[in-house]
Parts: sequence; C-alpha cells; structure tokens
Amino acid sequence: MTSYFQSLGLTYEWSWFIATIAGILLIALPLMLAVAMIIYVDRKIWAAMALRKGPNVVGPFGLLQSFADGLKVFLQETIIPSASNKGLFLIAPIITFTVALMAWAVIPFNSGAVLADINVGLLYILAVSSLGVYGVVISGWASNSKYPFFSAMRAAAQMISYEVSIGFILICVVLWSGTFNLNGIVEAQQGHGLGIVNGYFFNLLLFPMWVMFLISSLAETARAPFDLTEAESELVAGYQTEYSSMAFALFWLGEYANVLLMCTLNAVLFFGGWLPPLDIPVLYLIPGWLWLFAKIFFFFFVFSWVKATVPRYRYDQLMRLGWKIFLPMSLLFVVLVSGWLMVTRYGA
Amino acid sequence: MIQVLAFYLFAALTIASATLVIMARNPVHSVLWLIVAFFNAAGLMVLVGAEFIAMLLVIVYVGAVAVLFLFVVMMLDIDFAELRAGFVKNFPLGMLIAVVLAAELVLGIGAYRAGSLELGTPDGSAAPLLGKSNIESIGALLYTKYLFLFESAGIILLVAMIGAIVLTHRERKGTRPQIISKQVRRRPEDATVNVKPEVGQGVQL
Amino acid sequence: MDFAASLKLIAPELLMSVSGLVLLLVSAWVGDKASRAISVAAAVVLGACFFLVAPAVCSGASGPDTLAFGGQFSADAFAGLAKLMIFAAGGAALVIAPAFFERFNAMRAEYPVLILFAVLGMSIMVSARDLITLYIGLELNSLAAYVLAAFLRTDDRSAEAGLKYFVLGALASGILLFGMSLTYGFTGTTSFEGIRVALNGEMAMGALFGLIFMLAGLAFKISAVPFHMWTPDVYEGAPTPVTAFFASAPKVAALALTMRVTLEAFGAQDDAWRQIVIFAAIASIVIGALGAIGQSNLKRLLAYSSINNVGFILIGLAAGTPAGASAMLVYLAIYVAMTVGGFVAVLMLKDENGNSVEAIADIAGLSRTRPALAFCLMLVMFSLAGIPPLFGFWGKFVVFQAAVNAGFVALAAIGIAASVIGAFYYIKVVKVMYFDEPADVVKGESDWAHWALLAISALAISPLGYLLTPWLGNLADKAAAVLFLGV
Repeated sequence: MTSYFQSLGLTYEWSWFIATIAGILLIALPLMLAVAMIIYVDRKIWAAMALRKGPNVVGPFGLLQSFADGLKVFLQETIIPSASNKGLFLIAPIITFTVALMAWAVIPFNSGAVLADINVGLLYILAVSSLGVYGVVISGWASNSKYPFFSAMRAAAQMISYEVSIGFILICVVLWSGTFNLNGIVEAQQGHGLGIVNGYFFNLLLFPMWVMFLISSLAETARAPFDLTEAESELVAGYQTEYSSMAFALFWLGEYANVLLMCTLNAVLFFGGWLPPLDIPVLYLIPGWLWLFAKIFFFFFVFSWVKATVPRYRYDQLMRLGWKIFLPMSLLFVVLVSGWLMVTRYGA
Repeated sequence: MIQVLAFYLFAALTIASATLVIMARNPVHSVLWLIVAFFNAAGLMVLVGAEFIAMLLVIVYVGAVAVLFLFVVMMLDIDFAELRAGFVKNFPLGMLIAVVLAAELVLGIGAYRAGSLELGTPDGSAAPLLGKSNIESIGALLYTKYLFLFESAGIILLVAMIGAIVLTHRERKGTRPQIISKQVRRRPEDATVNVKPEVGQGVQL
Repeated sequence: MDFAASLKLIAPELLMSVSGLVLLLVSAWVGDKASRAISVAAAVVLGACFFLVAPAVCSGASGPDTLAFGGQFSADAFAGLAKLMIFAAGGAALVIAPAFFERFNAMRAEYPVLILFAVLGMSIMVSARDLITLYIGLELNSLAAYVLAAFLRTDDRSAEAGLKYFVLGALASGILLFGMSLTYGFTGTTSFEGIRVALNGEMAMGALFGLIFMLAGLAFKISAVPFHMWTPDVYEGAPTPVTAFFASAPKVAALALTMRVTLEAFGAQDDAWRQIVIFAAIASIVIGALGAIGQSNLKRLLAYSSINNVGFILIGLAAGTPAGASAMLVYLAIYVAMTVGGFVAVLMLKDENGNSVEAIADIAGLSRTRPALAFCLMLVMFSLAGIPPLFGFWGKFVVFQAAVNAGFVALAAIGIAASVIGAFYYIKVVKVMYFDEPADVVKGESDWAHWALLAISALAISPLGYLLTPWLGNLADKAAAVLFLGV
C-alpha cells in the first residue's frame, strides 16, 4: 500500500504514514462491525440451545439488536463512583479496548495481507494478550468496591496461569513451522496432513495441543466455563460492576474482539488460516480471507456452544486444570515434539 | 527521520515515566508508571533491532512480573501520613546522598569532557549471524557456545523454586481436597435410596 | 568444539546435578521420611566427586586440555584443590545436620538437595574462566544459601538471618554485576583470558571502576571488611550446621574466585587491585579482632573470627606471587578444618533438654564436666589464634612468609601485631572453660557422627597436622602455578 501512495507523488515517510493509518482503519472498522454482529450471533446460538427465540424485535430477525444496544449505552449518563480513583477508572476500559485491537496488527488475512509482517509475530501476540489483564485489574482496583476487587485478583491469577501453558503450546507450533511469523506458520501448514490436509490439527502430536489451546483460550478470554471474573452469582458483575454507559460498552467490545482474536488464532495456528481445508487446486479459487472468516465463525460457534452447555468451574478447579494438568502436559509435548523433529527433520 | 523521532519519543517517555515511578504518591500509580517505562524501553529495543528482547521484555516484565507486583501492591495497606513522617526524619540523610550523587555526576561529566572514554572492541565471538533474524542468532549461540551456562541457569531457577516451596509450603491437616476419580467412580446407587414412607411416618436414613 | 571432551571435564558437576535432580524427585515423592537416606546419598555423591577431582589435583593439571566449553570452564589443579575443600566441607554439613534438625522436628528432605546444589554452584565458581560462568556459579550458590539460612522457618532468628542475607546478598550481586558489565564494556570480552590480553598496558578508568565494583561484590561474599556487617547476624541466626557450612565452603569458593579474578583476569594490572586488597586485609584483621572482644555468643565470636581469618588469607593475595597464592590455599585448607571443628563443637553444646547452648558464660568450667569436648574446643581456639604447636600457626606462617618475600614487611608486621590482639579473645574462651566455676549447663548427649567429625578435625589441627605439610604444600604449589601461566 505504501508504494501505491508513493506513486501518487508523496514522499516515502508520508505515504508510509497514510498507508499505515489506512491499514489500521481497514482492520478496526470491519472488526467493530463484526463484533456487533457476533454478539447477536452469540445470543441467537445461546437462545437456540435453550429453546428460546433470542433477539428478534429490532430489524429483520433482530439483526439490528446490537446497534440498538449500542445506541442505548451511548445515550446513557456516565456514572463515576465518588470514591473511585477517577483517572484510572476511566483509563481501564480504554486499555482493554485498545489492547484488544492491537493484536490484530499481525494477523494475516490472506497471503501477505497483514498490517505488520514482523518476524516475531507470535511473540507480539503473546505480549499484547498479556497486557489485556491490566484493563481488568486496574478497573477492579480503581472502582474501590469489593466485588470488582475480588474479580481483579481472580483475573490476574487466572490469566497468568493460563498464559504459561499457552506459551508452551505455541512453542510446539513454532518448532514445527520453524518461524514466529504468522504468515510463515500458515504457509508451513500447506499439505501438512498426508500431503492433502492443510492444518496442524491433523497431526498426532499437535492435535492434543490444539485441544489444550482451545480450552486455554476460553480461560484466557474469561469465557464460560471459566468466566469467574464476572461470576454473577458471586461477584455481581465482577470488574464491570461500577461501570455504565460508554465505558461499559468499551469493555464489552474489547472482550468480544479478544474472543474473535482467539478464534482467529485457533484457525491460524492449527487449521491453516487462509488456506482451504484441503490442498486441492479448485478450492483455492475461493479467496483466502473467506476461508479464514469461515473458520473464525466455526470457532466462534464452538465458543458459544460451550458457553451454552458447560457449567462454570470452581476457582480451585480452574487453577488445578491450569497448573497441574495443562502445564505438565504441554511441557511433555514440547519434549515430544522437539524430540520427534530432532529425529525426523534434523537428524541425529 | 522517523527513527530519530521515535527514539526521542521513547527515550523521553521512559525517563518521564521512570521519574513518575518515584514521584507518584500512590504506590499503585508507581507500579503503573513502571509498566509504562518498561513498555517504552521495549520500544527502544525495537529501534536498535533487538525485537526478540523487546518482546521478551513485554511478555516477562509487563505481562507477568509487573502483574504480580501490582497484585501485591494493591493489597498493601499503606499509611501515607506515617510515610511522610519518616520523610522528615530521613530528610538530612537523603539530602546528603543527593549532594554526593550530584557531585559524582558533575565529576563524571567533567571526566567525560576531559578525554574520550576508550571502550573495548568485541572479540567477535558473539557477533550476529549474517542474514538471520536475531531469534536465530540468539538460539545459535545459546545452544552451542553457551550451552553449559544456559543449562546451569536452569538449575538456578530450579533452586529458586525449591527455596520458595521449602520456605512457604505447609502441610495442612484436616483439609478435604477434591478427588476427581472418586467423584467419577461414585454411582447413583451409592448416593441415593428410594423409599416409600407410610403416611405419618418419618423416613429413617 | 568437542562436546565429549567438555562433558568429561565437567564430570563431577554433571554427577552432582543429575543426582541432585534424582534426589529431589525422591524427596518430592517419599517426603521427609527419606531425609536421612537422602543425606547419606548426597554425602556419597560428594565423596564420589572428591575422587573424580583428585587425579587432576595430584597431577597438577593445567593448560588447554583442562578447558571445557570454549574456555568458559576450567577443570585445572587450582579449581580441583578448591573443590576438594568444598566437597569436604559440604560433606561435613550433610553429616552434622540430621541430628540437629530432628531436635526441632524440622529435618526436611530438601536440605541435602539444597546443599548439593550449593556445592555445585561453588564448584562452578572456582572453575570459572569467564565472567558469565562466575556469575552463574555465584548465584546458584547464593540462592541455595539464602534458603538454607532461613531453613528453620519457625525460628524468628533464622528467618531474620535469611532475609538479611538475601537483601544484602542481592545488593552485592547487583554491585558485582555492575562491575562485570563495566569490565565487559571496556575490554570487549567476558573471558578472563581476553580481559587479561585487553588490559595489557594502560588501564582505562572505566575498567578500573569495573574492577573496584567486582572486588566490592566479592568482598561481600568472603565477608571482608568493609562488607562484613552481615556476617555476625547471619552466622548467629542461621541453624548451626548451616553456619558451619557458610563459614567453610562458600569462603573457599569465593576466595578462590577472588584469586582467579585478580590473578588471572586482572593479573597484568596488579597495581590496580593491590591497594584495595591490602586495605581489606588490614581492616578485616583489625575489625575482626576488635569486634570479637565484646561478644558473648559463641557463634558471633566465630563469625568475627572468620572475618579476622579472611584478612590473614588476603595478605597472601596482596603479595601477588605464586608463593602467596600457594600460602592462601594452605591457609584455606587449615581454616576449613578449624572452622568445621569449631562449629561442630558448638553444635555439641546442649543443655539437658537438647536445646543449643551458645552463650560463652554457659560453658564456664566445661573442662570439669565434659573434658573431651572442652579439650577439642581448646585445640580449635588455640589453632584459630595461631599459637605455635598447633596447625593453625602454619597457615599464618606461610602467608606472612610469602608477604615478607614479596617485600610487604610492614603488612606482615601489622598482621602479626593484630594476631596478638586476636589471641586475647580466643584465650578468654579457653580461660572460661578451664578456670571458671562450672555453670553446669551443658549436659546433652551428642550424636556419634558429631564426635567422629570433631575427632577428625581435632586430629587435623593438632601438631600431627605438620606431617601433612610437605604433601599439602606440594599440591598447593602446583595449584597456584596454574594461575600464573599467562604471565
């Protein structure tokens, strides 16, 4: 895109600047639209599984429900608790929202269609997703109220715990693909299974890793059954309790953008990203971004499905799963994967 | 041009937030400024081409260490009045140290002006591999030349872990931990009985 | 690089780390029931390492064949001799611990594992030929030591000792690291060999600062004045077997490391560090001697005595000659025997309930109630004072001889004068034991392992020890020669 703007007669610096801004808008705006729609989809799936109708009043089939909700919170009055730490109270939702958008910079939507094609892409995602916890922790503390504070403590412990095993799972993927660049990881999956299946899930050593990654990504985004940070039966609404209006909406948007990001990561790391499911020339006629969107939607369906059917974990069970099961298992698989690659790929 | 701008931006923000770490009255604010400082330091690392170190700085320090730090600081109950009382008492000592430090700074700058410092030249054993990203360069050094030290560092971390467990772990008596296999093994017959009580009679359990 | 040859050179370290990991697993699964068995196993491992290292010491190994991993690690005769002392001291700490901790019901299976890792760290330290190896070894040893100091976690004094040691030790590590980074910046290399080559001729101001900071960090580890203030508190608070360990093995390791840094890395710049070493030596001797006079606790007294002894050992370093380095090694070997003997004797002082007796007033008239114990303690005290028929005298003698031969007559004279002051408090302890009315506090029985260890060290520091001098001197000469190969 930079070269396009350069051809319009701008200097390199200016065209780089404009191209980057344009790229950011090109990702962020559709993402916000997608979040609005995906909230609607979430509620519809949830309702269908509970044999309800779900939103069906605003617009055809209730399609405009999210926009109506958005308008409502936008017109609400922002209430700031008088005992809160005002600066931090207002910064917290902004952090959550910004961080949720930042990670999308390195996601490849098609071959080479990525805003920042850096060679530490996966590390960048790990770094940014580890920042997400600050929004929750700061909001919980700044609210100066006990339930949000409990929620903040829970969130901090939960996210750090699961990031550890996520890190090891990602190491397995990186070992197999030999690169940290997400585009490179997608390309390495071409014809991975029996020369025809595109995706690391079709691999006896990486399939268990994918299962663990899926569960860890539920925990990392604090979705059901790991939504202990906002467990309404214990903590009112967790860290969001004191929030209203746009600040509340920012949390909401950030949370769903994170969920979408995790779905995308599942697709990119284990299911071949923008590649078609099978390595057959005909399937490449369909553009790559459509394949990616289909996969993201599939994983989002799985997320909603889990939310609608699995009861919430207890906190000690959550910690036990993270530290006593996932951590040793993922460590074991790092050893297995590197041992296997040592024998087959790099020789003795 | 962009690099120069970015450098001064990151450097200025690093210094400013580092200053605020020690100036902030609320310890939670201090930790948050520390995080900003880490972040900008990572930016500086990216500028010198060490993107791997930059990412590790964010993942390890911002993502894990600072979160735990914040976790602890948030739960502290600090009496600010008491802190200020200590401040007055320690003021003369603080001033003395400040004067000494300022004198050292002046001396150091004077010495620097007087003659250029002669820095050594690297012996080339740790030079980056040409045409490789710095992750590959680090890996190539870490697993060959520095293998022994790398593994020894692992033992250091193990010792730190043993230490934390030895000093804090206590066997608690009378707890009833969840035994999942036992729960799964339990059948409905073991837990429920079907009785049909007579009218006016209680149920004997 | 030939990995097979390197691995062969680090065989003792490999054995220690692998068996440490295995014993850790055993302790995790079997629990504290196995702590005695694990202690025995760890002691056997240290014994095996002793015999793995011994050939290199006897043959005076040196040169490129002893360098592992591209010169980061050196398994030469100097490192070997230091390791022999460290393994012996570590073994002693393992043998005396179970009986002590079981009294407090605090014997945990992690104790031998931590000692094993601490010894591993020290053996990496003394073999360091690179700043990074130096730091890794030092940290491995220090981290294990912080935990060991606080091992009796129900005891407030032990927890306090652990915390003090940790905070000050972390500060010292930071200072050392700062010095290392300056040295690296001004020489462009982390290997001792490279630093020596780079510093030939005029020394840059920054490198001098690096040297000073490194020496400050190391002075903390060997508890030389002015970085000694933690020693009495930590030695008093830490459990006595751990104190015995602290006073012996890490001292050997840190002093050997100081010798490597000064004589190998900065060997071409001996004018730069000599004044610092001379100052630290004199200050340690004087403050160690004066500080001990007012003490009423035996462990604190022995702590000041160790500061005092480090001063004498540094006199050998100040000489900067092969004879001086050899004298330091001889002194260190004798010092280890004296310290272990002294602390084992303190460990055996128990009242009828089995609690430790540490106050000097409580051992009054010990010669009449426990003559054998009093006699051994007397031997240790006279030997520490350097009174002639005992072996402690020989250590002081060789150090002073080296200093005088190198032209430091004044330094030797100050040292001799201060050792007379020092003799005062050692003799005071003996006087309390032999000529005061019995306080009749010490009544508890002791483990046979304690008696055995005390007997061995008493024998070593008795006049019989002089039979060892030709042999010990020969080994020390060969070991010290390794450090001066580059000259």
